[in-house]
Formats: sequence, structure tokens, C-alpha cells
Amino acid sequence: MIIIYTVIFAGSLILFQTQLASPVVEDRGRLLPVKMKSVKSSDSEDEIKNIVREANLHDDKISIAGMQHSQGGQTLYPGGIMLDVKQYNKILELDEKNQLITVQSGVTWAEIQSYINPYGLALKVSQSQNIFTVGGSISVNVHGRDIRNHTLIETVESFRLLNAQGKVLNVSRDENSELFGLVNGGYGLFGVILDVTLHLTEDELYQVKTQSISYDEYSTYFTKNVLQKENVKMHLARISVPPDSFLTEMYVTDYSTADDQSLLGNYTTLKRESIIAIPKFFLGLSRTNEWGEKMFWNTQKEYSERINGTYISRNNVMRSDSLFMDYNNASKTEVLQEYFVPINQYTAYIDDLRDTIKDEEDFNLLNITVRYVGKNEEAVMSYANDDMFALVMLINQGTSEESIDTTGRVIRNMIDVTLKHDGTYYLPYYHYPTKEQLIEAYPRSEEFFEMKEKYDPDERFMNLFYEEYHK
Amino acid sequence: MNYRKFIIYQGTIGMAASMIFPFYVLLLKNVGSSYAQFGWAYGLFALTAALSYPVIGKFADQAGDKVLLIIYSWGMALILLVFPLAYEIWHIYVLQIFMGLLGAVQKNSEKTVLARSVNKETAGNEIGRYHIWTSIGAAIAVIATGYLVDFLTIGSIFYIASIVFAWSGFYMMKMEKPLV
Ligand SMILES: Cc1cc2nc3c(=O)[nH]c(=O)nc-3n(C[C@H](O)[C@H](O)[C@H](O)COP(=O)(O)OP(=O)(O)OC[C@H]3O[C@@H](n4cnc5c(N)ncnc54)[C@H](O)[C@@H]3O)c2cc1C
Repeated sequence: MIIIYTVIFAGSLILFQTQLASPVVEDRGRLLPVKMKSVKSSDSEDEIKNIVREANLHDDKISIAGMQHSQGGQTLYPGGIMLDVKQYNKILELDEKNQLITVQSGVTWAEIQSYINPYGLALKVSQSQNIFTVGGSISVNVHGRDIRNHTLIETVESFRLLNAQGKVLNVSRDENSELFGLVNGGYGLFGVILDVTLHLTEDELYQVKTQSISYDEYSTYFTKNVLQKENVKMHLARISVPPDSFLTEMYVTDYSTADDQSLLGNYTTLKRESIIAIPKFFLGLSRTNEWGEKMFWNTQKEYSERINGTYISRNNVMRSDSLFMDYNNASKTEVLQEYFVPINQYTAYIDDLRDTIKDEEDFNLLNITVRYVGKNEEAVMSYANDDMFALVMLINQGTSEESIDTTGRVIRNMIDVTLKHDGTYYLPYYHYPTKEQLIEAYPRSEEFFEMKEKYDPDERFMNLFYEEYHK
Repeated sequence: MNYRKFIIYQGTIGMAASMIFPFYVLLLKNVGSSYAQFGWAYGLFALTAALSYPVIGKFADQAGDKVLLIIYSWGMALILLVFPLAYEIWHIYVLQIFMGLLGAVQKNSEKTVLARSVNKETAGNEIGRYHIWTSIGAAIAVIATGYLVDFLTIGSIFYIASIVFAWSGFYMMKMEKPLV
């Protein structure tokens, strides 16, 4: 008995070790489980350098990972080493006078906010939520609710980059400047961003103004009442998805500098994730049927009416809830899409989009938010080639092959419509778009890929995004 | 006397079982990804137990409690070696069915042994005392394992528990028959 048991015991242990040795990892989109060789992480620059050096010796590929909220395998590569930078997250220096902060790239916006809020400082650009790492955000060149600062690259002063040869370079608009436009929006393909110096701004008190409007009034409303009004600093809107009002109703939320800034002190406590049960419940309902979609839209609208006239600090606008979106279902997942269209094309674009997807029974669109991002072409892979509206879609889809096919077809159709209206689409999501679509949306893609070959000829830094599109 | 040994045995397997139970949920969490799957995993456990009680009951009277407890110990020792290897939800479902069966064997035998050994008049006192020792064992195990998980991995907890079960299997095999 002892012998049999010992043999089975040893067998199990060995199997277990080999399983552990090649972890299966996936990003938050959960459509791409990938077997990697190993996952490595460190809080020390020397160790990170070592990981790159070792990888060079053994010809291993490296995929860099932050919070892994990108959804198209931008942090994954089969058989590669995943370099998880989340622990490399110290705040190194705050220069209050010049409003500059230097941080290690694995730090999240949330951690920076907690640190700078007591100094009355705030971020210039971040996503609407604050759960992301700085490195991951720079690498996709994010944008958010701020309408006066556009894409994140505008707020980046400089950073240090650990390149494929294992050397550390200073990168800014003056030094190694070619890399500046490549690493911002570079999807981790040019090296590991080590520490970053970012421009901050003052925390301010905003008054919220909300209003319902029809989709065809939106462009005019936005130009007149938002862009041209200097005291409006942030903006966001939603457009309806329930079938009876599909892509017609909107409500807008504007954040304007409050007249009496001395009240700011009453609003600076940083919000925690508030009670998420209620939005979670309604979002859950909207996943199931039309009635649920209507309920979700109505509660969102009522909520927006309720906050009309209230006050909020800049830091709090930039830390919106996200937990309620966490979705745990084995056979389904939720994916994002984001399309950018020039402001003056908006109405015609929405009409076309409606025609394209209104009869797609199997396409479950849960939510669309609309924001603004002004033209900035500093990054080689820039999506903001004009002053644009950015539409973010939340889509509920199955993880089966059939579901992926259906969603893919609808998404490619939507991208065609977007491109027709001189628009672009966002790259951190699933690789549904075709290579032709990529090149049309990002005319400098070829240059980007050539530069990748120039700076990293051995393809030390790899991910599924590059694999899919560079050939 | 044998009854004492039985308490030692029960205390030991109680410890081993409580080592894994709370943490076993963590494993389910790694593998399963929805509450519905959780529900199914535990539902299957309860359902197999329910279906197997009648058979186990009969078998206990024919073959004796000792055989059943040996089956339980070795069954657990072996199945715990499979747990760390599970990575898909159906693996967990299958394991849960076996766990349900073995759980039923243990529950039934614990009670039959007690029923055969205690005095009707002092049953309350005796069973009370029995529970003190087994519960203390379980409590210590859960707390200690909590610390262990900080140092070891969940996987190693299963291996340690398996060794304890294997030991209990030998212990039971060496015990004289009948148990009481
Ligand atoms: C719920 C949700 C809301 C979102 N909202 C917005 C939004 O409002 N605005 C917006 O612009 N985007 C938004 N996004 C997209 C999001 O900004 C990107 O997916 C972003 O990359 C996520 O950051 P991360 O830390 O998860 O990065 P990861 O997904 O971990 O990494 C993204 C890319 O950056 C690279 N990378 C990460 N760290 C480093 C580093 N230190 N050095 C070099 N390369 C690195 C990775 O290799 C990868 O290619 C949203 C996404 C989700 C899921």
C-alpha cells in the first residue's frame, strides 16, 4: 500500500510541477487564454534588467503586462515570458512647484491620486476609471473626460526606457525623440517603460450640469455649449441602446469650474467605490433582455438628472466606478470597442451605424458612452487625427467560436462605417479588425512596424497584437 | 481501548478535512468562474451523498465500519492527489462526485460507530466529549493551515492533507476488529 501510494504521490507532484511551470494566463477580456513560459515580476530595476538580459541570452520573447485590461493579447505571447510590472510601482518624486510627478510605471492612477490629492494636485489626463497602470496607459496613449487636454502623451514630460538590448535610455521630446512618439501608443513593443515624469494640474471644484438632448443636436450643442465655453473642463455623454430608442436619445454631463472655489475643501475626500449593488443589478438586467436594457437606460438617466447642479472635485471625476462592471460568467464575457469620428460627421455616422446594427439579433450592445478627444498626432499610432467624438461600446458576447465569429463580423462592419466617416478605432481591444482596416485607420502603421524592426530586430518584446498585424 | 483510538482517528481525519475544506473553495474559485458553477459543484457533492447513503448504510452493517473507514481514508488520500491537477470545471465536478461519496461514507460510519459504542443512558455526555476533541482538532487545523497557505501554495496543502489521510488509513487498518 505504502509503495502504491508513494508512487501516485510522486506522480501527482511531478505533474503538478510541470503544470505550474507553464502557466496559462489571459487578459481581462478572457477570450485569449495563452500558455506562457513563465510569469516574472519584480520591484527592482536591476532585476528587471536581468530578466531582459536573460531573455536575450536564451532568445525568449517578453510580453509586458500592467493591469491587463487590454483585451487583444497585447500583454500575452505563447511560450514567452510575461514581465508583470505591477510591483514596480513606487512614487519617486513630486515637484509641487512645477507640478511634475515621477513614478515607476507599474503604479496605478489610484495610487497617484491618493498621493497628490492632499497637495491639491490632480492628473491632467487619465481614463474615466483609475484602475490602470501608468505604463499600460502610456503604451496605449489613453484619453479621458478632460476636453482641454487630449491624449495622455501631451502630459508626458519624459521617461526612461529599458530597450531590447538591455540599455536604459532617457526619452523625451529632446532626447531620443524618435522613440517618444513610438513608445507612447507603442503597446510595449519598444521596451520596458521604467519611470515616468508626468505633468499635473491643480485639483478644482466643478459643478455638474446634465441635460437630455436628441442625437442630431449633439454636435452643435457640444461645439457651442462645451468647447466654446471656457469654464467647461470635462464632458461625457451617453446614447441610448434600448430598441425603442436605439441610438436616438442622449444625455450629456458637463463639468464646469465652480464659481466659488473656496468650497473645494468640502469635496476633496476621495470617493471609494460606492455601493455597487444597484448599478450591478441593472447592468445585469440589461444583459438579459430588452426590458432590462430599458430599465438600465432609465436608471442611468434618472441618476444623471439627480446629479444636475451638484459639485465634485476634479480628482473625483477621474475615479469613476468600475467594479460593478466585473462580470463573472464562464461562457460569456464583456468586451469593449471604441470608435473615433470627427465632430462634424457625428449625426450622419450615428444614422449609418444604426442601419448597420439594428437587425443584428445576436449582438448584445449594453452601453455606449461618448467623450471628446482633440486632435493630437504626436504619437505614430495616433487615433486622434482630428477633433473627434469617441464612442465606447460595451458588448456582451459568448466565448465560443461561433460567438466570436458573429461579434467579429458585426464589429468589422461597424469599423467600415467608422472609416467611411473618416474615423478611427482604438487598439487595446480584441483583434477583430482586419489588417486593411488597421492600415486605413492608422496610415503610419507600416512606419510603426518598420521602426519596431529597427529598434528591436530580434523581436525581444512580443505580443499577440504585433503578431497579428505586422506581417 | 479501541474507542479512544477511534477518537484519535476521527480527530486526525477531522483535522485533515478541515485543512482542505475552507481552502478548497479558493481552488474552486481559480477554476470555476461563476456562482452558478459554484452552486453546481456543491450541489453535485450533496446529491451524490444523498444517493449513496442507502447503499453505504447496508454495507456498514454487513462489512463493518472498519472497512468503510479504511476506504474513506485511502479514498481521500488518493483523491487529494488529483485536486491540485484539476484545471477545468468538469474536473472539479467529477472530483466533487467522489468527494460526495466519500463524505457520505465518513458521516455514516462516524455515526454507526458512535451508535454501537455509547451507552444509551450516558449518550449525551459521551457524544459531547467526543465532539470536544474532534472539534478542537478541526479548529487547530484550520487556523494553522491559514498560516501555512501564506507560506506554501494551495497545492501543497492538498499534498499534506493527503499524507495525513494516508497515515489515518494505516492507523485504521491496524486497529482490531470489531471497532467496539
Ligand atoms: C473597463 C475599461 C475602461 C476603459 N476606459 C478607458 C478610457 O476611459 N480611456 C481610454 O483611453 N482607455 C480606456 N480603456 C482601455 C485601457 O486604457 C487600456 O486597456 C490600458 O492599456 C489598460 O491599462 P493596463 O494597466 O491594464 O495595461 P495592460 O493591458 O496591462 O497593458 C497594455 C499595453 O501596455 C504595455 N505595457 C504595460 N506596462 C508597460 C510598461 N511598464 N512598459 C512598456 N509597456 C507596457 C503592455 O505590453 C500592453 O501592450 C478601458 C479599458 C477597460 C477594460
